[in-house]
Amino acid sequence: MTDPGALNTYLPTLIRYLLVMIGIGVIMVVVYRVQRALGVKQEAATGRTLVVPWIIGFVIFTVFTIGASFYLSFTEYNLFSAPEWVGLENYQDLFDVSAGTLESREQRSTDVLERRHQEIVRVEVGGGGFVFGAREHAFWRSMRLTLLYSFISVPLGLFGALGVALLLNQKVRFLSFWRVLYYMPAILPAVATALLWRWMFSQNGIINSLTAPIWQGFGWEAPRWFTDPALALPAFIIISLWGIFGANSVILLAGLKGIPQELYEAAAIDGAGSWAKFRHVTIPMLSPALFYNLVTGTIGALQVFEIAAFIQTPAAVGTFLNWLIYQEAFNLRNMGMASAMAWIMLLIILALTALIFRSSSAWVFYQGAREEAA
Amino acid sequence: MTVDTTFANDRLLNEPAPPQRAFNIRQIIIYAMLIICGIIVLVPFLWMISTSLKTPDQLFTGEVNFIPDPAVPQNYITVWERLNSIKPGMTFLRIIGNTLFITVLAMFGEIFSASIVAYGFSRFQWKGRDLLFAIMLATIMIPGIVTRVPGFLIWRELGLLNTYDPLTWPALFAWGPLYVFLMRQFFLSIPRELEEAATIDGANVIQIYWYIMLPLIRPVMLAIAVLSFQGNWNNFQGPILYLSTPEFFPLALAMRFFDQSLSLEAPQWQYMMAMATMMAAPILVLYFLAQKQFLEGISIGAVKG
Repeated sequence: MTDPGALNTYLPTLIRYLLVMIGIGVIMVVVYRVQRALGVKQEAATGRTLVVPWIIGFVIFTVFTIGASFYLSFTEYNLFSAPEWVGLENYQDLFDVSAGTLESREQRSTDVLERRHQEIVRVEVGGGGFVFGAREHAFWRSMRLTLLYSFISVPLGLFGALGVALLLNQKVRFLSFWRVLYYMPAILPAVATALLWRWMFSQNGIINSLTAPIWQGFGWEAPRWFTDPALALPAFIIISLWGIFGANSVILLAGLKGIPQELYEAAAIDGAGSWAKFRHVTIPMLSPALFYNLVTGTIGALQVFEIAAFIQTPAAVGTFLNWLIYQEAFNLRNMGMASAMAWIMLLIILALTALIFRSSSAWVFYQGAREEAA
Repeated sequence: MTVDTTFANDRLLNEPAPPQRAFNIRQIIIYAMLIICGIIVLVPFLWMISTSLKTPDQLFTGEVNFIPDPAVPQNYITVWERLNSIKPGMTFLRIIGNTLFITVLAMFGEIFSASIVAYGFSRFQWKGRDLLFAIMLATIMIPGIVTRVPGFLIWRELGLLNTYDPLTWPALFAWGPLYVFLMRQFFLSIPRELEEAATIDGANVIQIYWYIMLPLIRPVMLAIAVLSFQGNWNNFQGPILYLSTPEFFPLALAMRFFDQSLSLEAPQWQYMMAMATMMAAPILVLYFLAQKQFLEGISIGAVKG
């Protein structure tokens, strides 16, 4: 497509933007009039009318798209011909997995797995071990990378953040300076973060220069962070920790400052030491903030996109799920398969969130809830 | 930097300094750890800026040198000349213009719709309100990738692929549940007597919203404005899906375009980092100016649970 010039690309969108605005206004007026004609009280009619913009967007961009995605996951669709119903085939392909027993460490996993299956996970027991493989190995490798990344980086980031938040809560001077400083990485555009860290982790990059005494001391070669399968995950986790620990600590600090001082005084009167205060006052009072961070952190980590778009990884490592699904849909044009993958991802996110919510009643303490019960 | 003034009303800052056994071991350890964390945070930023000012032969020396010698600020101009030579039409002004066009329209839509929807969710009693609000919050959990394929198909049917439409006016439908949530929390804290008094004086809903609510919610609107500006300025997942003509690209996509077209030769990190710095600079400036709004916006979820 040739470039029609800046103004001619902005103007049509601007006009449609204004038309949509007017359209929403008209719909709202109609909804209000209809409700009043049906005898709804003014207050209720107004309230409902005001949320109409969200309801329209919700129906079109959430309900409809999720339904369509579910339907597409049972089809084969390449954008050029109509979607073809294939039933559970996409899911069957994805779950076409196999396992085998290895007699020795040297034995190749392809010998014991089914044809066209490749290794995903290997568990070594004594001389031999077990190996699990799958036909859609790219998907399962990405699943492995994404899950490991989330399960390691989120709790690690949360503990680190808790430590820093506790430090900042020690009546330090220049508190606002520290807070502004630590939150900076979260401001940096994800695209810039990805490029910057790819450069820092490159063969002649700053990370290898700074750690040269270590790897040279062991007599190793310079680490190739994103081509060595063993090093990619640690590198990604380091990037993630740099990006989130400061932001999390600022959020946790806000939670810490919300804890009433009287609680600590009461605990001190009861003879509590610093550990007892931390264990029985700080942690319970902070648990809603920890919980919030855990939920949002996990959902966010499972959906990493920009890092994968800018940093290539070897096939043995896989890439992040979100990026893999994007590739499957828009580069390979397998819309059906991509939708099936997206649905598996959705179910995993829902299951994890449900798990965190279910467990929360055991460890999250809501002050208000306790008062209501009493 | 306006670092110290903004949080001057912080409780901790106004408290008397800790007892004057001044620098005991405990405090030294605390400050040492804070400084170490600060260095870890800062080094990548400094490296980004330092790299952007270097000549190619300073890049791969294997030594850690933060001060470029000689420093070449011309990199910031050359990078755009290079980009323009790869694809004529991708000028600095055009790409910045594209980015601002998307950002401003989406930001306005987000703030405007979030304030109206939150108003409806907070200041009026109606059946089904709390259920709908819970559903709205639950949509936060839906990964974007699930709706991406059908979303793409909708815009394809409408013939609006490779336009800015998918990135701008859907914001008018309150697509950010988090902003509605923040706004609603704020609305709930406004005393109800204000509206009752205005209603008795004969004001209608639009007048109450415009003359009473809007001035009151200005602080949270500002907080949402900075978060939304940052979110849309940094957006990569939307543009990569919908835009295909390089001249239409916002900064994030232009960076990827530049990266990909250079990947055949050796990556020219001084240009890449110059571009990254340029993309980060407005956001960082905005952050330093509006840190209070930024930190309020992100902290509210933690405090309110």
